[in-house]
Amino acid sequence: MLEVLAIAFTVFLVILSAAYARRFGIGKEIILAGTRALVQILILASIILILFQKPLYWSFPILIMMAAIAGYTTYSRSGKLEKGLPVAIFSITIASILMLIPFFLVGIFPVEARYIIPSGSIFIGNAMNVSSLAIDRYKGEIKNRRAEIETYLALGARPEIAAGACLKQGILSALIPSIDNMKNLGIVWIPGVMTGMLLGGADPMEAASIQIALFTSIFAAGMIASNLLLHFSTDSFFTKAAQLKEDMGQ
Amino acid sequence: MNPVHLELKNVSKNVFRRVNNNMVRTQILSNLDLKVNKGELVTIMGASGSGKSTLLRLINRLSETDSGIILLKGNDIRSYVPMELRRRIGMVFQVPVAFKGSVRDNLSFGIKLWGGNTGIETLSRDTGIPGNLLDADAGQLSTGEKQRVSIARALGNQPEILLLDEPTSSLDAVSEQRIEKLLLDLQKERDLTILWVTHEKEQAQRIGGKRLILREGRLEHA
Ligand SMILES: Nc1ncnc2c1ncn2[C@@H]1O[C@H](COP(=O)(O)OP(=O)(O)OP(=O)(O)O)[C@@H](O)[C@H]1O
Ligand SMILES: [Mg+2]
Repeated sequence: MLEVLAIAFTVFLVILSAAYARRFGIGKEIILAGTRALVQILILASIILILFQKPLYWSFPILIMMAAIAGYTTYSRSGKLEKGLPVAIFSITIASILMLIPFFLVGIFPVEARYIIPSGSIFIGNAMNVSSLAIDRYKGEIKNRRAEIETYLALGARPEIAAGACLKQGILSALIPSIDNMKNLGIVWIPGVMTGMLLGGADPMEAASIQIALFTSIFAAGMIASNLLLHFSTDSFFTKAAQLKEDMGQ
Repeated sequence: MNPVHLELKNVSKNVFRRVNNNMVRTQILSNLDLKVNKGELVTIMGASGSGKSTLLRLINRLSETDSGIILLKGNDIRSYVPMELRRRIGMVFQVPVAFKGSVRDNLSFGIKLWGGNTGIETLSRDTGIPGNLLDADAGQLSTGEKQRVSIARALGNQPEILLLDEPTSSLDAVSEQRIEKLLLDLQKERDLTILWVTHEKEQAQRIGGKRLILREGRLEHA
């Protein structure tokens, strides 16, 4: 009964927002995005429902699929860099899995689909956001700092050194929103997991501890993912002869 | 006779300009030939946009020729590891770039990278960088000061060939002639081979050497 109410309310809100947003010329887009979100989340719920009845290893292809879609999103954001897709998927997957495993190893979360899928999705989603921001900025810095990069190259520096300052800037600017969020955690906002646990009747202390552990791990995953991605993307901006490419795609 | 140090044979280079969202091909260098002996000084003049900078960038392989071949000591430059090639063929850009950090950090970049033994103090004295500037932030230097820093930085690599792209364009007459003297001394002391792009006829006459002009994609004697 509750779900019917919530969904009806959602549909009502999407239509209302779209009607209002027509004056900005984005009415259709909101209908489309809203419908997509609704359908996707219902499919996800059904998948989790099915996974409850299946053996545990069924969760992993689902996570891999999520990481692949996240990787593709970041890859598109990078302007479809040469060799960019496998690198993006790899970075996001490795970083997410690495930071997720401890939660199950030490027993904060039981090893069940009910925990694996949603927590995995938070890690993957955040790693994707941070990586997209980072690669976009990295590319922008490289475009704007051609003269500096070529001066380094002309002294015999390898591309990694020549583009080092740009890489640092890319990661830094991608992490700034997360750092600000971390500073304001508990003051300006109560993050999703804690909210969910509180709504579900959990003890506030327990909810807060799990939330902060998750939050810091998610931050670390974002940092690792973006670092891996930028590191392995550097080659795409240079030719085999260590020349800065003229044309770096869109 | 000196052995040939650097040779360009039949070198052509096109660039692509974006014009109304179309890429238009323009030939900048066409079947250009050049022979430079070890320890020789060559000045290159030419109208703005004639391709002087483009030519220098081909020699240290910051960009690739479309056809033709460039030989360093008789070997195709493509047979060298690009980083090693660029250590041996130093370049001073038309627009100087100062790296983040102090002037000292800038000067020591190549020395650290390649493990050379040039002294920072000697480098800065020779290029006319005052001692009290050494620990200043390089980002705030004037263009002329940056020009001297980039010359000193390039010399720190102990190159055998130096490509100079209007290296004194922002210097006053005194600093300019001081740099000219330094580079000419180095040329003699170390048997340094120099390609010097300049737009000043007076400078080309002053520093001597073989004088060439880049015109319609080729080098002619001035
Ligand atoms: N990467 C590039 N893309 C498109 N066009 C280029 C590129 N590099 C150079 N050009 C063009 O090639 C021509 C030659 O440029 P270059 O910088 O070599 O001239 P120059 O002789 O050094 O001129 P100046 O005396 O003004 O420095 C110019 O018309 C320039 O617009
Ligand atoms: Mg030029």
